[in-house]
Amino acid sequence: MRGRATGWAIGVVLALACTLVAPEASAQESAQSAQRLRVAIHSYENNLTPFTLTLTTFPVTADMVMLVYDSLFYSQASEDPEPWLAESASVSDDARTWTVTLREGVTWHDGRPLTAEDVAFSFDYYQQQAGSSGRYAHHVFDVPALDRSEVVDQRTIRFHFKDPAPQFDIMPGADLPIIPKHAWQGVTEPSKATSELPVGSGPYKLVEMVSDQRYRLVANEAYFKGRPTVDEIEMPVVKDPAAAFAALRTGEVGFVTRNVPSELVGQFGGSSGVAVAAATKFESTQLNFNARKSPWNSAAVRKAISLGTDTQALVDTVLLGRGRPGRDGFLHPDSPWAMPNGRHELDRAEAERLLDEAGYADRDADGVRRAADGSRLELSVLVSSFEPQDLRAVQLMSQQLEPLGVRVAPEALDPVSLRQRRQAPPGQVPGFDAYMSTLETHAHVDPDGLYYFFHSPGPKGFGGVITGWGNPRFDQLTEQAAVSGKDERKPMLHEAQEILAEEAPAIVFWYRSGEWAYRPDAYSGWVPDPGQGILGKRSFLPEYVRARSVATGAGEGSAGEAPGDAGGGGVGPALAIGAVVVLGLVGATVARRRRVEPDDE
Amino acid sequence: MAGHVARTVAQYLLVLFAAISLNFALPRLAPGDAVDYLLPPEQAGSLTPEQRTQVLSQFGLDEPLATQFGDYLSGLARGDLLFSVRYGRPVTELLAERVGWSALLVGGAVLLSTVIGAVLGFRSAWRRGTSRDAGTLTGVMLVDSLPPFFVGMVLILVFSVQLDLFPIFGALPTVDTSGPALVGEVIRRSVLPLVTLTLAYIGPVYLVARSALVSELQEDYVLMAEAKGLSDRQVRRHAERNALLPLSTVTLIGLGALVGGAAVVETVFSYPGLGRLIYEAVLARDYAVLQGAFLLLAIGVIVANFVNDLLYPLLDPRVRRPRAATA
Repeated sequence: MRGRATGWAIGVVLALACTLVAPEASAQESAQSAQRLRVAIHSYENNLTPFTLTLTTFPVTADMVMLVYDSLFYSQASEDPEPWLAESASVSDDARTWTVTLREGVTWHDGRPLTAEDVAFSFDYYQQQAGSSGRYAHHVFDVPALDRSEVVDQRTIRFHFKDPAPQFDIMPGADLPIIPKHAWQGVTEPSKATSELPVGSGPYKLVEMVSDQRYRLVANEAYFKGRPTVDEIEMPVVKDPAAAFAALRTGEVGFVTRNVPSELVGQFGGSSGVAVAAATKFESTQLNFNARKSPWNSAAVRKAISLGTDTQALVDTVLLGRGRPGRDGFLHPDSPWAMPNGRHELDRAEAERLLDEAGYADRDADGVRRAADGSRLELSVLVSSFEPQDLRAVQLMSQQLEPLGVRVAPEALDPVSLRQRRQAPPGQVPGFDAYMSTLETHAHVDPDGLYYFFHSPGPKGFGGVITGWGNPRFDQLTEQAAVSGKDERKPMLHEAQEILAEEAPAIVFWYRSGEWAYRPDAYSGWVPDPGQGILGKRSFLPEYVRARSVATGAGEGSAGEAPGDAGGGGVGPALAIGAVVVLGLVGATVARRRRVEPDDE
Repeated sequence: MAGHVARTVAQYLLVLFAAISLNFALPRLAPGDAVDYLLPPEQAGSLTPEQRTQVLSQFGLDEPLATQFGDYLSGLARGDLLFSVRYGRPVTELLAERVGWSALLVGGAVLLSTVIGAVLGFRSAWRRGTSRDAGTLTGVMLVDSLPPFFVGMVLILVFSVQLDLFPIFGALPTVDTSGPALVGEVIRRSVLPLVTLTLAYIGPVYLVARSALVSELQEDYVLMAEAKGLSDRQVRRHAERNALLPLSTVTLIGLGALVGGAAVVETVFSYPGLGRLIYEAVLARDYAVLQGAFLLLAIGVIVANFVNDLLYPLLDPRVRRPRAATA
């Protein structure tokens, strides 16, 4: 209850934040370049090396790591990534050997040349540091597994793989940050190397970090893609969302890394001096079953629950329409690997039939189905207490499933407790029923994403990691796909998605739309990068900024249509009047009571 | 006097030792393995039994408890606390960074709220039962009932967004500044959080001050003072001096809670204080930071109370020398 009250109060404050501001007649100038840009970020992750990022950190710092570092190709969200540090690459006929030629004249931030030695070292180092490199390294030793790297000459490197690796250019090629050998070769515990400023090759140099307060990045003027458009980016850490958007209003910052809350989108645009750009990351918010625990190990029961869940209603009610309804095949509809014509099947009659067939019936007319042994069909869903929207979605789902005779109850936990509840000692089945999670872009664009997230628990313990679900045909398809080229891979992955849709180890609730608020007078060169959002390196590189800037491009659409504050202008004064009236009443009552008693002064 | 000081010092050293021991014992008494506290949960969950033993011996946790306690004490003496999992840095460093900001914010707010609360409380008590008293009481209670984050947001809206007088976030300026300009900017940035926190603290101080003076005013010596014809101002001064005593005690005992309780305000204003560090350490299960912060707070509270004990005789002649009071 307390949480809800706080939520309301925050809502009121956010609304106030936007109505109290007098609409300024801002000169609608927009800046394609800037000397200094201030970006309000909401988390601090030490010195922004690839090793300070774990699988559980905030995606925003992953964006920032890629401002400092470069990968061989870019971006992971494209099925045909652009050569980046690489100038060209060729693959052998058996797809087991990749030869990569590096760009000429690329230097590290400290001026030393970036050579094939560094690239080879990076791959070897990630492999050695398997334990502590979290987010990135597993791509070097899982799928496709690198056998060894070979330095041919200063600019040429050859990668040898154990199995065919036809999509090396995407993963890990377009994902793995290349690190300098001279800075890392002596480091044995990279996750503890958090106090030195990182040396990268990317468009920005991190020059200052103050713990939990700010980062300061300056442009790498020698960048091989041209001098970045903003000379200096300051990134103060602003924890409170209302404060961050208020700071955007006043011009104290020019961009906020949080998604604009749905209720605020309408307030921006017009004459507010703040515009909104659409740039969607491929994120899915989903319910994951514990597919190893009865009755959730039954595909029929899981599918019935999926059939009874109206994902469009979840988007409309919880996200206020700012997202796309979840699809049964898991992958984001814009992912290059998503099956065509994917959708979410909503069929309550079919759901009833499946549950009847599985032996669940309302045996004592209390509105809840029971198994033959009398156990009630109740689904307890673990939800992070930091994600109020997930909580609301599960509550709504609970209403949707009530007529089916299925009870759904959310259980809110802090994120760490939630992770602990998901774990069980080796060989045992954890006790939870289901949990909510959000999988970021990487899960949706990795050509082996389906393998990683839904393959049966393998010898390494990876795969099947989110649900424990397994299906032999699915495993076979994803294993085959992993060694196949793009054109053969797609049909396999499509079939694998059909299996996911049929067996429903997870129910995707929605794919959120990315909407980011910025001040065009501070900087307007933002380039929406599909799947990557907007705070990427392309937003600061002249060739991309010129080619597609949101100020003139399609991104402005969502901003342009947003109504100004015309309708909300009266709320501030009304509230003030209300407060005065309340105070007046209190005062009057007190005064009257006092007057009855004799004044003792 | 010297005997009194020595006795007080001994008492406080005992309390300090108890606090240190408790700080050592608490994580070891908690359910679960020490490994769960030392490693991030994702890592701790996937360790084999052999790896667990290895981690334990790495941190010296396979030694007998007495040896561990000895190591812990000698570590403390060297100022050597544990290593933060979340920040990958020694806890001592983190605490040192934060403690100054907390001292500025909480210290300033305690000082301001004590002065303002006492002035208002004494005024109310002197005029107890009048409409002015009721008005002040209602006003203070109204402010006290507003959640601090809400007060903070309203202040931001009025003073930062509307009037553009103060920056919204942070303790340090974002642009390079140095020298006097830096000091000015730091002060400017502390104004809104300081006011918010002060408003949040005034309520209890006001109530204590008011009730203390009300009960003093019923004492015989006040009647005596009035009877011998002292002016109102003189009577008030006598009574107020005595009413100050509970105030100092209440403030200093609550100091630890005040530092931790500032977390909400520190979050709204993105202020890098200890409260926020503790709050985030709880969320991240960064036990090393928690242990260090609690120790620091415990020491802070003990020292504050020690100082209070030494100052008390100056405020209250009755406890100065027991003999004097009876003689």
